[in-house]
Amino acid sequence: MRRYTYLWLMQLVTGVFIAVLLGIHMVVQHLEDILLFFGVNLNDPTSWQSMIERSRQAVWAGIYIALLVVVLSHALNGLRNVILELTPSPRAERVITGTIMALGIVVFLWASYVPIALLYS
Amino acid sequence: MKPTKPRPNYLGPVGWVWAGNYKLERYLYILHRITGLGILLFLLFHLTATTFFRIQGEAVWNSAMGFLSNPLFKIGEFLVVVAFVFHMVNGFRLILQELGFLMSKPVPPIYPYSDSLRRKRRWTMAFIGIIIVLCLVFFYDFIVGGW
Repeated sequence: MRRYTYLWLMQLVTGVFIAVLLGIHMVVQHLEDILLFFGVNLNDPTSWQSMIERSRQAVWAGIYIALLVVVLSHALNGLRNVILELTPSPRAERVITGTIMALGIVVFLWASYVPIALLYS
Repeated sequence: MKPTKPRPNYLGPVGWVWAGNYKLERYLYILHRITGLGILLFLLFHLTATTFFRIQGEAVWNSAMGFLSNPLFKIGEFLVVVAFVFHMVNGFRLILQELGFLMSKPVPPIYPYSDSLRRKRRWTMAFIGIIIVLCLVFFYDFIVGGW
């Protein structure tokens, strides 16, 4: 049972990290009109030019990859918790855990490739 | 004396949408689960859009962004924001209450019953208030930002 406690603790800690990192992401990407009111001009953060400027900075690549790690661990652990509430057999539980971990690794490799590739482009 | 038929506590899959004998916190739990699964679904679309379209250059990116500026997608985006805000603020409440904060001391189970969480219901209501305020802030930005 101890590992379930660690998973619960991981859910709490990654939740706090997501609140900070996704908070930055949301405010920068979506609250540009409110930021403009406070005198910060981001020049349309979803435009190609602004996106390329961000992707050339190592800080943003770091933020994106860190966000990817915590979001994937939080979301897939949450998905596992939802599925395990259906009380599957121990064998089915191992299959579910293995599938979800494989999915997480595949999504991480696929999605972390782009910020790294754009950093050196 | 008329026999009373107690409502069963076991809800099964019905408990995914109906709270039974439980109250507000159980509905927050259901919404937490729905918003979590919804955000996971959005994450997969979002990662597809920001990797496959971005790596193919400016023309593909601009046409994808033009396609996504459809009002239906804008409404969908706002729903994702609402789900995110709910999941974040309710998650903070869960962290605090699971660690024992914002809960009153336990009392003996003597009629009329009360539980530690319900005696601190006003904190739960305060968190719901924060959710509404943050949703209104993002709604303002969606309106001002144009569709």
